[in-house]
Amino acid sequence: MSPPTADWIQLHDRFYRKQEIYTMLWKQVDLSKYMLAAAPFGGPLALVRDDRKVLLLQKQQPIKPSIYLYTSSGKLMETIQWEKGHIVGMGWTETEQLLCVLEDGTVRMYNILGEYTQFSLGKDAKDNKVIEVQFWGTGLVALTGSFQLIAITNFDEPRPLFLADPGINEPPYSWTVIPPKFTLSRHVEVLIAHNSTILVVDATEARDERLQQGPFSKMSISPDGKYLALFTADGKLWVVSTDFQKNLSEFATRSQVPPQQLVWCGTDSVVLYWDKIVLMVGPYGDWIKYTYDDAIFLIPEIDGVRVISTDKCEFLQKVPDATENIFKIGSTAPAAMLYDALDHFEKKSPKADENIRSIRLELSDAVEACIEAAGHEISHQYQRSLLKAASFGKSFLDIHNADSFVEMCKVLRVLNAVRYYEIGIPMTYTQYQRLSPEALIDRLISRHQYLLAIRICEYLKMRTDRILIHWACSKIKKSNDDEDTICRMVVEKLANKPGLSYSEIAMTAHKAGQSKLATMLLDYEPRAGDQVPLLMSMQEDELALVKAIESGDTDLVYHVILHLKRKLQLGEFFRIINNKPLACNLLESYCKQQDPELLKDFYYQDDRTVERANLTLMESFRQKDSTERINTIKGALRIYQEDKEHTFEVKAIEDSIKLLQTQVQLEKDYSQPFSGLSISSTVYKLITINQSNRATKVRGDFKMPDKRFWWIKLRALVEIRDWDGVATLAKSKKSPIGYEPFVEECVKAMQFREAAKYILKCDAHLRAGLFLKIEAYQEAGEQALLQKDLDTLRYVAWVGDAKI
Amino acid sequence: MSTSTAAAVAAASSPAQPTGAHLGHTSLNIDSLRDLARKELVNVLDSDHGVEKIYHLQPGPLETDCKNLIYICRPQVNYMKYIAEHIHTHTKDSRAGSYTYSLFFVPRRTALCEKVLEDEGVFGEITKGEYHLDLIPLEDDVLSLEWDSTFKELYLEQDTTSIYYAAKALMRLQGIYGLFPRILGKGDYSKALCDMMLRMRREMAVDDLDASQTMQLSQNIDSLIIIDRSVDLVTPLCTQLTYEGLIDEIFHIKNSFVEVDASLASAASAPPGGGSGSGTQSSATAPTGKKKKVPLNGGDKLFDELRDLNFAVVGGLLNKVAKRINADYEERHNAKTVPQIRQFIVKMGGLAAEHQSLRLHTALAEEIMNYTMTDDFNRILEVQQNVVAGIATNKEPEYIEEMINKQAPLVQVLRLLCLYSLVNSGLKPKQFEFFKREILETYGFEHIQTLENLRRLGMLTKQTTTKNTYGLVRRSLSLIVDEVNEHAPNDISYVYSGYAPLSVRLVQCVVQRGKDNKQPGGPGGKGSGIAGGNGWKGFEDVLRMLPGRTFDETQRVDDGQPRPSKRMNGQPRVSLVFFLGGCTFTEISATRFLASQEGGQRDFVICTTQILNGNTLVDSLVQKVPDLHASA
Repeated sequence: MSPPTADWIQLHDRFYRKQEIYTMLWKQVDLSKYMLAAAPFGGPLALVRDDRKVLLLQKQQPIKPSIYLYTSSGKLMETIQWEKGHIVGMGWTETEQLLCVLEDGTVRMYNILGEYTQFSLGKDAKDNKVIEVQFWGTGLVALTGSFQLIAITNFDEPRPLFLADPGINEPPYSWTVIPPKFTLSRHVEVLIAHNSTILVVDATEARDERLQQGPFSKMSISPDGKYLALFTADGKLWVVSTDFQKNLSEFATRSQVPPQQLVWCGTDSVVLYWDKIVLMVGPYGDWIKYTYDDAIFLIPEIDGVRVISTDKCEFLQKVPDATENIFKIGSTAPAAMLYDALDHFEKKSPKADENIRSIRLELSDAVEACIEAAGHEISHQYQRSLLKAASFGKSFLDIHNADSFVEMCKVLRVLNAVRYYEIGIPMTYTQYQRLSPEALIDRLISRHQYLLAIRICEYLKMRTDRILIHWACSKIKKSNDDEDTICRMVVEKLANKPGLSYSEIAMTAHKAGQSKLATMLLDYEPRAGDQVPLLMSMQEDELALVKAIESGDTDLVYHVILHLKRKLQLGEFFRIINNKPLACNLLESYCKQQDPELLKDFYYQDDRTVERANLTLMESFRQKDSTERINTIKGALRIYQEDKEHTFEVKAIEDSIKLLQTQVQLEKDYSQPFSGLSISSTVYKLITINQSNRATKVRGDFKMPDKRFWWIKLRALVEIRDWDGVATLAKSKKSPIGYEPFVEECVKAMQFREAAKYILKCDAHLRAGLFLKIEAYQEAGEQALLQKDLDTLRYVAWVGDAKI
Repeated sequence: MSTSTAAAVAAASSPAQPTGAHLGHTSLNIDSLRDLARKELVNVLDSDHGVEKIYHLQPGPLETDCKNLIYICRPQVNYMKYIAEHIHTHTKDSRAGSYTYSLFFVPRRTALCEKVLEDEGVFGEITKGEYHLDLIPLEDDVLSLEWDSTFKELYLEQDTTSIYYAAKALMRLQGIYGLFPRILGKGDYSKALCDMMLRMRREMAVDDLDASQTMQLSQNIDSLIIIDRSVDLVTPLCTQLTYEGLIDEIFHIKNSFVEVDASLASAASAPPGGGSGSGTQSSATAPTGKKKKVPLNGGDKLFDELRDLNFAVVGGLLNKVAKRINADYEERHNAKTVPQIRQFIVKMGGLAAEHQSLRLHTALAEEIMNYTMTDDFNRILEVQQNVVAGIATNKEPEYIEEMINKQAPLVQVLRLLCLYSLVNSGLKPKQFEFFKREILETYGFEHIQTLENLRRLGMLTKQTTTKNTYGLVRRSLSLIVDEVNEHAPNDISYVYSGYAPLSVRLVQCVVQRGKDNKQPGGPGGKGSGIAGGNGWKGFEDVLRMLPGRTFDETQRVDDGQPRPSKRMNGQPRVSLVFFLGGCTFTEISATRFLASQEGGQRDFVICTTQILNGNTLVDSLVQKVPDLHASA
């Protein structure tokens, strides 16, 4: 066992280490001839022959280029035959999908098994060609031949978005993107090296940072988005904050040639790569140089750099603090003492006891430190010895919560399992914590490592549904067995998982053209709502609707209804809807807002007389032209007449036609608007424009009851303050509404004298109160006395006193 | 960066209620619900973003300098059309440059809206998301979905969308507070809601087995009582007589804000005039006619005290408070030493706030008084009370006729007429025809549809039987209480000065079991456990007379674990009362009164789809037609 510090190199006050993780399984791959893209978090590598570079034609190599997908350990996972044009850029998404951007703006998104979907960056990209692309976990920015920038910020709903015109007319020296999650505006920003400066471009503007040190031939954003590393014209490495406010460091490389790669190692050092030379520069200008025999490729990770060479995969990182404290030569940190104590203990040396005693007070921290350091180790031996040290220290503690110890053991088991060269995911503890176990499981699933995924899930007590569903889906896709056999096989495997959703599996079967299998599987789906989408695509229209209704989710019902409407003949559509009340009700309220014509048809075929008639009637209220309007109303009338039960409505509608005709005439005669008024309002208006006779005629035409007519006339006359008219009305005959309204209406109009005229015509017992209203206290008193109404009398006396 | 953002908001009231330090009435910690809603809103708006302007979503083009637009609205067809219109005008205007549009649906995106956006040709322009806001805590004991149109949607159009949302929201509550051990209810839609919840629980087992297994019975909520609005249409038609109820009747409270004349509001916001009430400068300053929004919630201590009282006693109480505040101000004369003065200054902050609130409520009470003093109000109230009490004579229909003849607002007329019809199981055939004709001829023929709507809902019908169901219900549940003491009420009937709302009586049936089962209104009603209680037992006959199904379901946790202990020490048990289809402020007050009768043994949390009153309810059923003259 070599000492752990063997591969450490000091850089100013800190240590860096470069550990070999894998010996590559691939044979003789010359990285200089390929275009490479690697997914972070120990993800896979995609290699495609760089068609700009000369390659010796070898016998066994096919002429047609292919994209090779390798694990980090150089195991070939998939070969994608490439028949499309020139690939401008390759990158990986967060979910480990490979993006290939073509010159014509087509973007293909491959999963690890080579299945793809594609979308386009739009016409502009096609016309001007894409010349370069930059990626981040959830988006990309493409630079077109006309030097415009097109961004995609969401791969689920890819929508090309033009950024502001950077205003350049030659290719930039270099450029990069700041992912949205790191910018102040939460929108993607692009940094472009132009002349001696840098342009910052977002969706709305391009801003010149007015720098002098350019042109910058390389640039790179730190993993936390805070810093920018630049390679200047005079061969300097310059690190600056991304807002260009803070200068962090400058380092002269004395190379006029820009490096082939410039990447960050964690957040505090930068790694540059020239042909076969790797230079790592720390924050204080210290540096380390490594040399290689062949071309290599650097993959930045959040906590280091993965170095891929022809024969090795290495990991270069700053030695984590916990590890440094323990293994640094001469370290007297408690954790180092504890680790040392274990060594002495195993050698049966009494120094063990001495060591423990000396760190008694910090023992608990020392235990935790050993646990953490174990997490950062790749080598199994050191993991084991560090955990052993922690366990040893633990035994000297009276109370110690062992959760973190147990947890770390679990995590290490999982990490060691995925780091195994056959799996080839060299994920560090830090990366695992950032990525989450769920995401790791997803990565295993997409690699079809079902068994390992399930074992890990069971070990970590996570749900295995996703894995089983994915397994079943791929089984169906690949299997050549007959449908019954597959069904039995799938159901058997999933039988002991109650509540597992079968709809996705069934959907896969359907898409694979095995509709019988799909139907069989769908029967196992416990949720009505989830069966709907599949039933729809299986053309099981009616069943889909039934299930949607069953789910109670009205929007799902709408979804099916709208789908059916698009698809079916009207008659067939109604046939399916008709006997389902909820579907009918929803269709009705949709039509009322969006499609009144459909509603008419619907009512017609369902014999809904009243609704149909009213719908037609309501339509008439939107028509301005009276003739048109009357015609529409007549339509409604005809519908109502179809049925004997609707005599009331028939009469009412006939009246409404008559009213409209009358109003047309009135409008002609008095050049005033009438239409839209009700019968009562028409009469009222006629009186207010002094057309009492005409009012009386209209009233007669519509056989308006006496009472109502009197009320209308009274109120209308009061409104135009025609007090003589009111008096004449009162005298014309015995009032059918009594005389109280006369008093009240006059009081409301503040005409007490007028009001007084009618009080004596009212019922005797009301008179006192009415007089009070017009503040005629004497009369009120007299009336109260006459009626022997003592209460009122007393009140009158009291109010009267107060007034006088 | 100049990426300015604007948000257009519609019909989604902000959950950030100005509750201040108002601590819970109930033992449920509603704050957790509030926090959730608030956090998600921040995610939606991505607070770092800096929203620059907020607009209300309305028809017509949207003119703004902001290039990033975020819409937050209900998934309703009309809103989609407004948004489409905005986008169309932007694309037509070549100078406008490019906008980005985000649309957040509250509480979820729907296929229907997406279809409309597609039809309008703007689907691809918009980034869509969801803001899962369902139950909005209006108060610590009132949660509302605040869907304005539920009543019409559910009962007239029979569109059960709101039931689905209600079920989702209740499931979320169960997720936070634990399973409701018992679900009781009355009405067909109540039953549908209950069934949907039970089904969702089964399906949740599918989604997340672990969660459903670990979901415990709730520690403090022991029951959910669902009351379907169709069971009791009489109550909302009656004029509310509590303070908050009257404010709603007259000014209409919307999302716990009331819009009042600016002069009223400025009286409230004017600084207290130093000494005794010398602040009368207010009414002159603000021009009348301008409206101002004033929040009404439990954060206002005085309002909290007044809201549930019968309006008859509000005046006296305001008087008392005024005197007290005055006395407190006068104390300053007693403050001689510096520490005494300092103490007074400390106290003054609170006094100023109290004073302000006193001004507002005095002003509101005055306005209400002006209204309640009118002849019309009193005659309507008299008719109403006679009708409900079943001592109706010829006078009531005659008065309704008079109202029509006077062309009183249609909503008022219908409110009274429907009440009359409901209580008497319909109108006599002749009367029915007569009123229909009067209404059509006075208010216009478009109301053929209005009348059809009311007929369909059973609110305005022709009498077919002489059996008076309502009378029987009224008797057996003692809905009419003659002796009402508004000052020291002993029964929920105080809220309508003598009429006990049927809906709340039903809740009382479940919760309280007096010495005499048939008389739940008795003052001696004593609480007993719901979870193990008798449910509807003893009231089967009455319930049979009311429309819709009656149910009583028990939810269990099937893990063989013992049921949770009876209740946590000292914690009152909580009943969740869900008014499906909406409830009135008065019903909330009456339910709170029930809690007060329980002497700390039981709390109620009221959930509803929306807050309504007779006017909003009837108005939603009135057919509207475009005013052709406006454009002519």
